[in-house]
Amino acid sequence: MKRYDLVIVGAGPSGLSAAIEAAKKGMKVVVFDENEKPGGQLFKQIHKFFGSKEHRAKIRGFVIGQQLLEEAGEAGVEVVLNATVIGLYQDKEVVVRKGDRVEHYKGNAVIIATGAAENMVTFPGWTLPGVIGAGAAQTMMNIHGVLPGKRVLMLGSGNVGLVVSFQLEQCGCEVAAIVDAAPRVGGYGVHAAKVARTGVPFYLSHTVVEAEGEDHVTGVTIAEIDSNFQFIPGTEKHFDVDTICVAVGLSPMSQLLKMAGCKMEDDPKRGGQVPICDPYGRTSLPGVFAAGDVAGIEEASSAMIEGRMAGIVAAEYLGYIDEEELKSELASLDEALNGLRQGMFAPQNRGKAIEKTEEGIDISESLLKNGYVADDEIEKYPGVTHKTGIHPVIECTQNIPCNPCQDACKKGCISIGSKITSLPIVVDDSECINCGMCVASCSGQAIFLVDESCQDGTATVTLPYEFLPLPEAGTKGKGLGRDGKVVCDAEVVSVKSMKAFDKTNLLTIRVPREYAMKARFFKVV
Amino acid sequence: MNSVNDRSRDIGPFVPGPDDDMLICRCEEITKGEIRKAVHDGMWTLTEIRRYLRTGMGLCQGQTCSRLVKGIVAKELGISPSELEPAASRVPMRPIEMEVFANEAPDEKEGE
Repeated sequence: MKRYDLVIVGAGPSGLSAAIEAAKKGMKVVVFDENEKPGGQLFKQIHKFFGSKEHRAKIRGFVIGQQLLEEAGEAGVEVVLNATVIGLYQDKEVVVRKGDRVEHYKGNAVIIATGAAENMVTFPGWTLPGVIGAGAAQTMMNIHGVLPGKRVLMLGSGNVGLVVSFQLEQCGCEVAAIVDAAPRVGGYGVHAAKVARTGVPFYLSHTVVEAEGEDHVTGVTIAEIDSNFQFIPGTEKHFDVDTICVAVGLSPMSQLLKMAGCKMEDDPKRGGQVPICDPYGRTSLPGVFAAGDVAGIEEASSAMIEGRMAGIVAAEYLGYIDEEELKSELASLDEALNGLRQGMFAPQNRGKAIEKTEEGIDISESLLKNGYVADDEIEKYPGVTHKTGIHPVIECTQNIPCNPCQDACKKGCISIGSKITSLPIVVDDSECINCGMCVASCSGQAIFLVDESCQDGTATVTLPYEFLPLPEAGTKGKGLGRDGKVVCDAEVVSVKSMKAFDKTNLLTIRVPREYAMKARFFKVV
Repeated sequence: MNSVNDRSRDIGPFVPGPDDDMLICRCEEITKGEIRKAVHDGMWTLTEIRRYLRTGMGLCQGQTCSRLVKGIVAKELGISPSELEPAASRVPMRPIEMEVFANEAPDEKEGE
């Protein structure tokens, strides 16, 4: 039986982060993953991540995956792929299937970082080909380059549903609607807004009545539900779609921990069956640790920090570092994780209906119901100001832990301050030089550069644009409002693509002056 | 004894529902009605349901349906899903061919 200091199950964000930390402390580490590629879900994430610089904010998920793999390689971590861990025993014996053989390993410490699996909902027709999980859609699009369908209905308005809807549009699918049984959009408002402005309607308090089709999905009917989750007759809506994408949450894949004999609990706030463990992933079994989604559903940035914590705690468990070092390392990670668990989407606020921002401004009702901030609400937020000449308009209206925009502006136009969840403000008397760095740096695509005072009675709006083909300067089309409806004629003035923008293109459109604060997307007609 | 284990509790008769023919466990082709009936047959734990119907014992090993089955059983018993003990987790965690499962790699020297 081969023995390692540390055996890690799962080469996703938390598993790799744990491996890197442990190997840096001198431990002999192996990571097993059942997939043919490492990185867990990271390589399917093509959007820019939120957070602060320390959390790799504004870096795209797949790039973070590449960075982690490089770091793991440098640290001497052995990553074994196509290796399915089929069993874990109390004495930390790990049984691995590799090819047509079963091998046994012994870890002096074991970290389980197996992540989570998607939830399903049932409705008549849910077993028809064409009903797929959002994860499957991402795998098809972003790993294999296969179109999941032509016209898609998304069930679920959490961040996964919103992000995948945007990706579906990016790869050329039409998203017919985003539907959620909950009365409010579950994910970040900025994710919802960037989908809504392309023209995707949101149906909250709605769910699927039936998927239609003989041998594959050819359509779907949704209907409104009352507070007891009963359909309201007469509210049915039909869509011709070939795909229904389901994004209704995740469940921890904690079976290995349960099998090993860790004390478990059912915690709906953490997503289901989870090990009882301390904040650093120590389970009830000495030397067995849990990190990432398997210990409670969150997202990749916190999974990476939890992984690092587990790696460090495992190093201390085996005596590679002393208690002193453990304390100091955990203190800085505590601070980082705490920073991510702030704002209205923080774990402690799950399920709460938050009505005001930390600044005391009303949260946009329209954003929560329709996916976009209404025109008569947008001026309430501190990032939305008026000025002569070009200036940033920051349509960031919810307190989320994210601050890359503050550092993006070299002229100091944008300030968030020391509290990472604060809404960004446009600094008085600052000078915007139209560089566009703030527009490209905003992971939520919520920053626009607006010049309301062009001499000929027009205005220009520079917006983030991540679709192909890129329109050329001079292209005539329509300006779409935040709600995705045509508001005015628009003409492309310029298209900027720079390496520093990291594939977010900056499209500048000219619109009639009165639409300067209304037009937020461009469509070639 | 909690209410889950109190077998003398009356959960009422089986009442057919309009969606009883909906497949829940795709791998083993078990319907919602079969699961609900099983509860009335006295299968009150997920382990019993699994042995009685084979839900969650097919190709995906309950990855898709275990949460759904849990919800249906809990509703039939009139309890919260979190009160139901999940079924046991056993080796092998993933479906595996018997010839592979039996193909243990020869051990290197013990203590290496």
